[in-house]
Amino acid sequence: MTTWLSKFFILLFFLLPLGLTTGCATLPGSNASLVSDKILANEDEIMLWQKSEEEQRVLESTGLIYPHPELEDYLNMIIAKLQPQSMPADLKIRVKVIKNVYLNAFAYPNGMIYIHTGLLARMDNEAQLAAVLAHEMIHCIRRHALRAFRRYKDQPAFLRVVEHTLSKTKGLQDIARFMAISGAMAAISGYTRELEAEADRVGMEVMAAAGYDPREALSLFDHMITEIEQEGLEEPFFFGSHPKVRQRIENLQNLSASGYINREPRIKNSEIFLTKLAKLFLDNAGLDIRQGHFQAARRGVEKYLRINPDDTRAYFMLGEIYRQRGQPDDAQKAIKFYNQAIFLDPTYADPHKAIGLIHYKKGHRALAKKYFELCLQLSPDSLDKAYIQAYLKQCAQSGEG
Amino acid sequence: MKKIAWVAFFIFAASCLSCANTGGIYQPASYSFTIKIPAGWRKIDNNRYLFVTKESPFLQYVMVQNRPISRSFRNTEKKLKTDMLPEEAAQIIVDEIASDQNILNFAVLDNTPAAIQGHDGFKILFTYNDQKGSKFKTLYYGFIKEDTFFNLRFTAADQVYFQKDIETFKRMLNSFQVIKAKAA
Repeated sequence: MTTWLSKFFILLFFLLPLGLTTGCATLPGSNASLVSDKILANEDEIMLWQKSEEEQRVLESTGLIYPHPELEDYLNMIIAKLQPQSMPADLKIRVKVIKNVYLNAFAYPNGMIYIHTGLLARMDNEAQLAAVLAHEMIHCIRRHALRAFRRYKDQPAFLRVVEHTLSKTKGLQDIARFMAISGAMAAISGYTRELEAEADRVGMEVMAAAGYDPREALSLFDHMITEIEQEGLEEPFFFGSHPKVRQRIENLQNLSASGYINREPRIKNSEIFLTKLAKLFLDNAGLDIRQGHFQAARRGVEKYLRINPDDTRAYFMLGEIYRQRGQPDDAQKAIKFYNQAIFLDPTYADPHKAIGLIHYKKGHRALAKKYFELCLQLSPDSLDKAYIQAYLKQCAQSGEG
Repeated sequence: MKKIAWVAFFIFAASCLSCANTGGIYQPASYSFTIKIPAGWRKIDNNRYLFVTKESPFLQYVMVQNRPISRSFRNTEKKLKTDMLPEEAAQIIVDEIASDQNILNFAVLDNTPAAIQGHDGFKILFTYNDQKGSKFKTLYYGFIKEDTFFNLRFTAADQVYFQKDIETFKRMLNSFQVIKAKAA
């Protein structure tokens, strides 16, 4: 391979997704694109697509994809609503969901959009989802990957900065490996403020044209920044770093004064959105619990309970959040939720064991014994049977039981 | 876990050129434990862990660590505490590994209480795949003593190498002794 070719492949490797987040320079349907209107007319664009497909195959073989065909159908239905008439016929936009609690979405040049469970779990309605999907879709339609590739291929110093940013970005180091780094870099805010502002503006126009309430794009940003600040999250992903989020909120506020934003109808579709995503809210909360993001997990479970108010697993998870967090008074809060789960389903073994654990740690061995025994009666082949038997043995030795 | 294996691999490769095989009781200078390293296995130790392998870190390795319980994990924000039950500590280790996106198809086969040289702890047996699809099996022992979390794990390419070397690991486990609960 020649030196030039080596350089070309290295650039492909690092730059592929960069362009995906470099924003949208023009409104859909305009003729100001920097590249040919004919998709795959150029050798470098063909290479970008091939690289994209390779990375997607790797990503989708890792088990990181959230398996929920009904949800994928729903997301792709929204994409169909958003697609402008001027879209290239051979560009097929599709959406898949990644099991990851971080607030992110990114797109490949061949039209494949990935959105994290963490981002979906923080949304309130279909219009907010449409805002994110429209933003990503525009990157594909306007072929920003190719534009970035051509723009940055002679700037190795810029590449080093992007690579450094990637290596320092929590939550991306691992996933980046699956996507040969380049896919993950799609999520890094290595693009200019102007391009990002344009991407937001075009996205709002697209969602408004589809009948969605564009003000929800602003609501989503407001909502996210509150959560990011409250929880001290490191979120340099879809929403960008704090200064950029602030700037983007200002951009969207300015757009609110424009004419199209007041167009009718103003679809939000909150109810259908919450119903379609209910299972995801709970599953993502489970991931948040694993990672110790207890506040985010609680929000996710509470959102789920608004749709399914009698779900025993959800109450058990609320109990787990408080028990595992372990702050003062958390044990009492945990017991309250475990009891709610037991009230709804007296045969549910897990909350019995959890209450037993709380009493055991407090030294209330007789109470602990009662709950552990109940747990084993309800679930004799429990996976944690050995631990429960050990606790019961200790209770017996203490003489209290 | 994969990163550890790669780092160890390079150190191992370098050490193969100059080091003789080990064997006998070993007490790393910065650690608060002793352990008998089997003959024919090579050790790699640094400030954070003792690492021994017979053929290659990608085929089998034993890792022993005493870490301060205050040290953050990489993939979960949960923290170990001195008053935790072994089961609670085991849950954090499971959460840490399950949240590692380098670990694919993670499956816990067994999670039970275990006594490690008289210390109440836990034992977790799990399998996973690496990014290239290779399957590994790990037996992980851990316990908290004062402000230190001690852990000993044996990881091997499933199935041949795990079965082949598990008894050697158990002999190492039986030779493990805490000198004082001072974390490295």
